[in-house]
Amino acid sequence: MIKRILIANRGEIVNRIIRTCRKMGIETVVVYSDADAGQHYIDEADFSYNIGKSAPSKSYLNIDVLIDVLRESKADAVHPGYGFLSESADFAKAVAAEGAVWIGPAPEVLEAIESKCHCRKIASDNCVPITPGTIKPVTDINDIADEAHRNGLPLLLKLDKGGGGKGIHKIEDVDSIEKLSADLESVKAIGRMAFASDDVYVEKAVSNPRHIEVQFIADRYGNVICLGERECSIQRRFQKIIEESPSVAVSLHERKKLYQYTAAVVRAMGYSNAGTVEFLLDETGSFYFMEINARLQVEHPVSEMVTGIDIVAGQIKAASGEKLSMKQEDVTIEGHAIECRIYAEDPYTFVPCPGKIEHVVFPDSDNGNVRIEHAVYDGYKVSPFYDPMIAKVITKGRDRAECIERMKEALSGFVIEGIKTSIPFELKIIDNPLFKDGTFTTAFLDKITFQEDNV
Amino acid sequence: MEYTVKAEMPGLVARTTVKPGDEVEKGQEILVINCMKTELSCTAPLSGTVREVMVEEWDELEVDTPMIIIESN
Repeated sequence: MIKRILIANRGEIVNRIIRTCRKMGIETVVVYSDADAGQHYIDEADFSYNIGKSAPSKSYLNIDVLIDVLRESKADAVHPGYGFLSESADFAKAVAAEGAVWIGPAPEVLEAIESKCHCRKIASDNCVPITPGTIKPVTDINDIADEAHRNGLPLLLKLDKGGGGKGIHKIEDVDSIEKLSADLESVKAIGRMAFASDDVYVEKAVSNPRHIEVQFIADRYGNVICLGERECSIQRRFQKIIEESPSVAVSLHERKKLYQYTAAVVRAMGYSNAGTVEFLLDETGSFYFMEINARLQVEHPVSEMVTGIDIVAGQIKAASGEKLSMKQEDVTIEGHAIECRIYAEDPYTFVPCPGKIEHVVFPDSDNGNVRIEHAVYDGYKVSPFYDPMIAKVITKGRDRAECIERMKEALSGFVIEGIKTSIPFELKIIDNPLFKDGTFTTAFLDKITFQEDNV
Repeated sequence: MEYTVKAEMPGLVARTTVKPGDEVEKGQEILVINCMKTELSCTAPLSGTVREVMVEEWDELEVDTPMIIIESN
């Protein structure tokens, strides 16, 4: 039984985790950097610890300091949230070495998942479709040329241990050996710098894909339930802005197939806890396995809104070794939910906009149809040290149209004074005909530019 | 003539790409600012020699924080 959880994160997700802990009668320990010393959850949690300077490397990414807090607070489990150390096998190992429970998949699973080739091989071995390409890192440019002959162009060079869209390079032709060598070397260089690994693999580029992901919860006994899919195609610079569930592009039959793929990969990996399997959907209606996100995701609330399942509670129970109490047929998808991430940035230039929020007013909850996740207040200083997301707004409707209407009202109901936010941009997106009829892909925001005068 | 390059926006010093004594060309990257995980390149406003680098990695910058002094050739 978990009695006290250390939340090794900051911002809105801390409030989110505290809420479920309260419901489950679990005590909470929060940590904060100097920049976060004014966070309201410091008073709301049962215990709190300052863990150092504002730079993430000196606080939220400092495993030694977090383990000190774990010991001193006598917490018996760690919830890592998302970002920071949430998928760090080293942190998970250090937590386990203290005899505490890691609320996430086992360190060995986290380590294995780091390699995209490994995941591609597991998927492929279990009859889950992957994009044509290699399941081993390439050794030289001949491998790339071979792939081009086998599967056609364009190809993508990707880092085996990459992430966040870094180091992805598109190959349009394989005519010049010099150019190919230079491209491969430049991707390898990014890998060495950013991910301490320069293994590169090749896959066929999927044109105009949609990004569809399946939320799952797995226990230690091989039971897996899927909580619907999320459509996350509205992104820019590999950053998601708007997510929704269900996806208009996924039929009942396809959802079943995605559930099968997800459960197969999760079981083959020996993965227990909540997580997400990402797929690409191409223009011909084919799905391809992309990767596994071994953490609670920012956009988890949309799945909670349509299934009524508390995913954080599911994580805590799975980590405690409880057997899943639900079967797949008990999971129902009801209505439609959309999430907009509100960023502190200029809505026209997307330049980050740190500063002080002088005054903030949130839209009302509309009988539970509007959910706001945040950790801001009047006088809150949006720090340049951290992610620009300051709040999430999630709306639910009986159908997508009602959900969009509620989102429009909710976004219009915000008052945020002192900094610029992405709200005007998001209002424009949800009013766009392509968004309304659901015929968008990940290229949506590249194709559409919103001028200042008509926002 | 000395010119002090100041921060145009708040953020953090992700890294400096020059050191005192370096010759720089106008438009050359001299420092990278990280603001909320977005990296923004800061370039030399004139050609010259770097006299002083006044900031270190992870220093917090306000608008107009002096960062680098360049002496024009």
